[in-house]
Amino acid sequence: MQSVSSMNSMDHFWLIIFCAIVAFIPRFFPLLFFTKRQIPEWFNEWMRFVPVSLFTALVVKSVFVDSKYNIMTSGNLGMIISSILVGVIAYRTRSMTLSVVVGLVSVMIFVLVLHI
Amino acid sequence: MKKNEPNWLMVLRTVMPLGLSYIPIGLACGVLLHAAGFNHLLTALISVMVFSGGAQFLIASMLTINAPMTTIILMMFFLELRYALLGSSLSRYLKGQPLPFIFAFAFSMNDENYAVNYLKFATDKHWKPTQALLVEHYSLLFWTVSNIVGSLIGSALTINLSVVDFALTALFIYMAIMQTKSRLTILVCALSGVLTIFFLVLMKSTLGLVVSTLIASLTGYFIERQLLARKPESHLLYKIHDPTGQSAMEESDK
Repeated sequence: MQSVSSMNSMDHFWLIIFCAIVAFIPRFFPLLFFTKRQIPEWFNEWMRFVPVSLFTALVVKSVFVDSKYNIMTSGNLGMIISSILVGVIAYRTRSMTLSVVVGLVSVMIFVLVLHI
Repeated sequence: MKKNEPNWLMVLRTVMPLGLSYIPIGLACGVLLHAAGFNHLLTALISVMVFSGGAQFLIASMLTINAPMTTIILMMFFLELRYALLGSSLSRYLKGQPLPFIFAFAFSMNDENYAVNYLKFATDKHWKPTQALLVEHYSLLFWTVSNIVGSLIGSALTINLSVVDFALTALFIYMAIMQTKSRLTILVCALSGVLTIFFLVLMKSTLGLVVSTLIASLTGYFIERQLLARKPESHLLYKIHDPTGQSAMEESDK
């Protein structure tokens, strides 16, 4: 990944504005709506499974699927091992910092030193 | 806890673990945004306006592969959709707050400060909405400063970006583990993983993420409902053991 973007700073500025609007809508309206009305029970129960599904999906995408949407069959062993390590650290310590730092160091060793 | 501690200090102490953990992630994000062509000012602006680690990492990596603006914005929409769920679960603690407060609260809410506030509201009866908003603003400050410093580092040093990019994956693994409360959740994760690969390869678009998330979460919801109604002693409903004993505190209030 190198700096190849064709957009200039003005494009980036507008991108930020649009992204901010798109980010704000789902944060604001449900919060506003449900501070006035009761949340339906089924919604609450369903909701408990949504973040965990999305996070898993994002992890699986970055570890197993490349940017052209093909399954990665090689070159991701270091990431797979690092992911498992991060999972164990996160479960054991419940520390976000430790999980991220251990993940970064582990990937650094696997990708930059061992080349797997 | 000290009795006469001023409010700002007490809230700062609550938010400190989160603030410190934002430093390495914010630095990594700043480095990536710089590589994507953002100047320091724009990095500061996006950190305040979007304020979401996942979203900012995603924007940076999509810019480096020259994705068109509309694709980035559409992807953002689906990524940020989860805040609808987080926001509505906090809403019962924010009843009766005026519109400007809800506006400000929604503007700076993200995964991590949501988790801090949710835990506080659930376990501490004296936790006030204004303190929750202060938690958001402290975390925003930590995040923005880390991003700007990351952007400055990125302009001074050459860094291997595929390594920095893994910070995002580690972050999502952590958040998924923290949300795993029962054996059924593990099943839902596995299902979500398989569906993600299937739909991403099939649809050749990030919309595959949305489809697999919806199917996996709805499956989990229906399985849980069936089990509670017909087989409440099922092994799938067993709680996951927490080695640090934190979730015991979280559950005690229910």
